[in-house]
Amino acid sequence: MSDTPWLRPLGQPKLVVVRTVENGGPTHVRLPGKPARTVEALRESWRIDDEWWRQPISREYHIVVLDDGRNLTLYHDLLDGTWYAQRG
Amino acid sequence: MSEFHPRLQSVPPHQGRGWAQTETDQPAGWIPTTGSGNAGTGWALGPGSGSAFLPASPRVSSGSRQALCLWLPTFELRLELVRSPALDSTSLALLSSGESTRRTIWQVSERAHEAGVRPGQLVSQAVSLCPSLTLLEPDPVHYDAAVESMLELLSEITPILEPAGRGRVFLGMDGLGRLFGSPERQAKKTLHSLFRIFPAPLVAATRAGFAPGKFGAWVAAAAARSGEPVIVGDSDLAGFLAGCPVSALPVDPLIVQRLERLGVQTLGELRRFPEPSLISQFGDEGRSALAWATGRRIDPVRPWHRPEPIRVSLDFPNPVGITETLHGALDRLIERALSRPTRQGRSVTGARMGAQLEGGGSWFVQTVLREPTAQRERIASPLRMKMAIAPPPKAVDTLIVEFTQFGAASAQTGLFDRRDESGRAAAGRELTRGEVPPSLRDAVKELKLRLGHSPLYRVVEVDPWSRIPERRHALLSFDP
Repeated sequence: MSDTPWLRPLGQPKLVVVRTVENGGPTHVRLPGKPARTVEALRESWRIDDEWWRQPISREYHIVVLDDGRNLTLYHDLLDGTWYAQRG
Repeated sequence: MSEFHPRLQSVPPHQGRGWAQTETDQPAGWIPTTGSGNAGTGWALGPGSGSAFLPASPRVSSGSRQALCLWLPTFELRLELVRSPALDSTSLALLSSGESTRRTIWQVSERAHEAGVRPGQLVSQAVSLCPSLTLLEPDPVHYDAAVESMLELLSEITPILEPAGRGRVFLGMDGLGRLFGSPERQAKKTLHSLFRIFPAPLVAATRAGFAPGKFGAWVAAAAARSGEPVIVGDSDLAGFLAGCPVSALPVDPLIVQRLERLGVQTLGELRRFPEPSLISQFGDEGRSALAWATGRRIDPVRPWHRPEPIRVSLDFPNPVGITETLHGALDRLIERALSRPTRQGRSVTGARMGAQLEGGGSWFVQTVLREPTAQRERIASPLRMKMAIAPPPKAVDTLIVEFTQFGAASAQTGLFDRRDESGRAAAGRELTRGEVPPSLRDAVKELKLRLGHSPLYRVVEVDPWSRIPERRHALLSFDP
């Protein structure tokens, strides 16, 4: 390993599999290596559109409550249609 | 056993320090060993061990009641004679180690003894008494290697071994009668096995005593003639001990001196005193002395446990005598030893620094650390201090560092423990922003030594107000 200090971003998104209803809201989430969980409640949603001048970012965030009681932040990448879980 | 008593009683009184003289057909050496290479009072001490008669570690619950003591007087001097047989015809003396000035005599050969040279004398005194005296620097590494090989060999006879100084070892012999026969045969077989590693003169000079308990076995070995083991049975023990001089007791030499001044010369005479009188005069040691004298106290042989030491060494291209260079090499060696995988999960409580010297010979110092540690500086500092007190007498060819005793890893201080280098707590003082506690700094150094890089990271703000979560914070490698 080189002696140069290096940065590792915190809160990197993780790819997840999400089943949705017709209007796009998540109903089931499967985290990598874990069984699928049912979404019990949708607490909050918001949308980010940013950095259109270099590499556009367009995400729809949801904070959901899973059936095991956990809160999870998910976002739907509106550019490629994939879903991610993210801390923060 | 009565045939031994006249000989025991004719033993000269306490004459000084160190082992008795070397002549094999001389009376047994009752002289207590104090100073001159051995720390402690009264009895020779094992390498890094306490007295053979102190209670053993509490984790060893049992031992062997029947004890065989093998004793080779002036073991180190005899090893030198084995190495250089030409010296046998000269007056020879081994110098004591651990003193940079005013060197004293440690062990003397028979010829030197006849010329009046005694252990503990100053070199100048010894040379004036015997101008042809040959003085030898001690070679502790060579002696320890001989002890190691002896212990390894004896472990084939019994697993219960308890060394008590370089020239003395106790063997637990319980249950070996069916294998080897009578106690006498057991003792002779043990002596005979030494021929595999030692030359005949060395084995011939070894004395053996078989008795219940270590004290009885030691007294029997000291009473034995070379090659003729003394066997003391359970029923004979009290009678055998009655004729022994009080100087055989493993108690403070001052107690022995007081007893002798009071006219108490033998253990039989000591027994006449009521226990309360001895306790009032000598405290708890008085009680122990009476218990030993009557044969009531039987100290079993406890198996000696010694963890495998971690040993690293550095060969210099040219012999080195500069202290700063040796200090630098010491630091590097400690770092190497600390990074050994076998040290993982353990802290160090005892360390030893040695050297092979230019032109032959060796030197070492050792330390027991006040607190278990895995920090280089805390191990190096006491060794450097010992080296300043007793520096190597010649330039160093090879420097050696050994970790000899280990403690639990849980004894480490906390990462965020705010203590300074001396271990003093920084009471009431808060860490300033960006300040790294010394314990954390040392921990990172240690991790880098072990892993090759620092596995610790600091969380830094990159763009804390960003709408995109992964842009807000990042990990930065932490290497203070």
